[in-house]
Amino acid sequence: MAQKKLKAVHYLNQFFGQVGGEEKATTGFTVKEGPVGPGLALQKELGDRAEIVATIICGDDFFAGNPDQNAEEGLKLVSAYQPDIFFAGPAFAAGRYSVACGAMCKAVGTELGIPVITGMHEEVPGMELYRKYAFICKTTNNARNMPEAIRGMVRLAFRLLSGEKEMRILARESLPKPEEYNYFSRNLLRNEYCDKTIAERSVEKLVAKLQGKPFESEVIPPRFEKVTPPAAIKDLSKCEIALISDGGLVPKGNPDGLARRSNLKWGAYDIESLFREYEVTHAGYFNDHVLERPDRLVPVDIMRELAKDGKIGKLHRLFFSTSGCTTVSKRCGEMGEEMGAVMKKGGIIGAAILTST
Amino acid sequence: MKLEIESIDIKDIKGGSKTYAKDGVLYINLKELEELILRDSRIKSVDINLVYPGEKVRILNILDVIQPRCKIDKADADFPGFIGKVQTAGSGRTRSLRGVTVLVSNPCTNRKENALLDMAGPIAEMSPYGKMINVSIAPTIGAGVEERDFENAVKNAGLKTAIYLARGAEGHPVSEVELYDLDIPNLDRKSNLPRVACYYQLYSPQFDYLAISDPCFYGTDVTHMMPTVIHPNEVLDGGLVGWLSIKALDTYSIQNHGVIKELYRHHGKDLIFAGVVCAVANMEPVARVRSACMAANLVKNVLGADGVILMKITGGMPHIDLAFTGEECEKLGVKTAIFTQPLTPFGTLADTILFNAESLDLIITSTATFERTKIPWKAEKFLGGNAKTRIFCPDPIDQYAGDSVIDIEEYLLPGVLDCTGNVKVIVKEY
Repeated sequence: MAQKKLKAVHYLNQFFGQVGGEEKATTGFTVKEGPVGPGLALQKELGDRAEIVATIICGDDFFAGNPDQNAEEGLKLVSAYQPDIFFAGPAFAAGRYSVACGAMCKAVGTELGIPVITGMHEEVPGMELYRKYAFICKTTNNARNMPEAIRGMVRLAFRLLSGEKEMRILARESLPKPEEYNYFSRNLLRNEYCDKTIAERSVEKLVAKLQGKPFESEVIPPRFEKVTPPAAIKDLSKCEIALISDGGLVPKGNPDGLARRSNLKWGAYDIESLFREYEVTHAGYFNDHVLERPDRLVPVDIMRELAKDGKIGKLHRLFFSTSGCTTVSKRCGEMGEEMGAVMKKGGIIGAAILTST
Repeated sequence: MKLEIESIDIKDIKGGSKTYAKDGVLYINLKELEELILRDSRIKSVDINLVYPGEKVRILNILDVIQPRCKIDKADADFPGFIGKVQTAGSGRTRSLRGVTVLVSNPCTNRKENALLDMAGPIAEMSPYGKMINVSIAPTIGAGVEERDFENAVKNAGLKTAIYLARGAEGHPVSEVELYDLDIPNLDRKSNLPRVACYYQLYSPQFDYLAISDPCFYGTDVTHMMPTVIHPNEVLDGGLVGWLSIKALDTYSIQNHGVIKELYRHHGKDLIFAGVVCAVANMEPVARVRSACMAANLVKNVLGADGVILMKITGGMPHIDLAFTGEECEKLGVKTAIFTQPLTPFGTLADTILFNAESLDLIITSTATFERTKIPWKAEKFLGGNAKTRIFCPDPIDQYAGDSVIDIEEYLLPGVLDCTGNVKVIVKEY
């Protein structure tokens, strides 16, 4: 049965898009019909399955000036062609180009819901920034390897277009194996069938460890940085203090949709109204006591007493809330930074107290 | 301690006027079984069904899965403390039926997160129980019986059924005899092989439903249990059973405990199996450290182990307890292999580790228990509930057993994941 020829759109920078070298890096978007530069090799690999209907080109400096806004701009140009698949680059070791490829893939993939594929070397910034939004094929750091990189991207593209389910994944999703298709994993974890039971692997590996032989841990644990506590506050009586908790206390109805488990969000809520109508969104502890009296999680009563007695300056009117139950530590760090940035912005908060469950 | 498990392979089950086994077929007097279950005054009635692989049946509200077993040479010794009188489990002869389970459901449950099994479709393919013949037992609650008390009654009904079926197969030729013989006081002290222990986490009080702990150890609960040395045979032979809810763990998996059986297989070949230390997860930090120190000391200075496998039940807090214990073991010079269960589908594997200890350098992924899967399969018949039975989803969506697709977490699919280590599953980055 003859398959319908699919439409592809390709993104390139000014250099590969044959606009010009570094001197043209500030050039804005141009659109060319059909394949350009490496797009010719890409078209050859795609064969009859798909046709590159357009190439979107933008200067690296121009794009890097405001990646989010430019990705939106680029998305409009891509959308006009209603493609079935989107390619960007490959960027190899080019830093700004990698960000542009990643940002374009993110915008197109999120908005159009089509497979988005690019290629990069592992050390470029675009990889870590956009790995979860795009299928980023691993490439060398040298554009001489273009044919190989293109072949890899097309192989992955065909696999994604096939919709084939990965039978080794328990949940049977259509996810190609990163090792098999040589792409950077996209921050997803999946149960996968393997040849040995958990018991067999654990005994075998422990025996190797005991015998002083090499053994392979299934997880390479993270090394957390040591955080030095800041200097103590000299005069608390003039200090406005904010309260933070990961106990999941939120206004009734949970307006920001914090999850009970694996939560990735936080919210800031006015304490006055929060304490009138609230709920707890957290699957990891008995919250009966908190539901009875939220001060047991967020010590507003004590803080107000201290403020009244002049021991602290003031309790900040907003409470910063998140739900910390099986949340990944990396995201916790990010949330802390986000909260810190908001607190610093007003310039009135001098300190924060974190209470946990 | 010496335990012989005499297995009989059952190929078919049929109702009959008498309970007996012949030529691999188990005949069950369902009336007699019903009477046995109804002797418990907490149970008003019971629905008993035989379910076979390939049937379009969805069994709901499963509280436990049990392998039919009975003691052959000891009286009143089955599941001691639960059914039989309290005595030490793990020695003598036990009859075990293979290819058949007792699926005991609680159709009257008020819990939100309940397990289910399909006998055809994707779940049946994923779970070993979907490929076995199952005796489904669904008791209903008697008037005035407390919810938690009724759960115990349901559990006991399952255990009694398991004993009844195994007893019924008396006289049938045995397919295989497995020998579990470990004389811990007289282990070969001169051997050059490393001595390896198992740290077996039994329970976490965070799962207490209605603030009551589940009995799972010789008839009692273990919330306040200090780390305790037990013989591995006590685990295999009914001293320990599953909880009153399924969280990637049930009695069947404990009766066939993955790591204990694997250590037995290696015993005398490349290691000496030194025994089991069992413990529970703790709710507060001082208790956690106390438990970790005690457990590590038992592993090192009582069992004399050189290495230990630290196994966990599902949950985040158990992960911390396990890591503390592992660190204490490594401090005492005991080399560790530690289990982890990534509890979120996002991030890298490293992101999901909740400890910061360089000494814990051998980490085994014992499945992502909260992984979600969509099951596009419609049942025609429901046991232990009905088509309107609510199916738990962590997202606020309403879904029911009769829907054409359900979105469910895998720890609620018995046998698909197994905290004792029997499944061939690893967690990978995608």
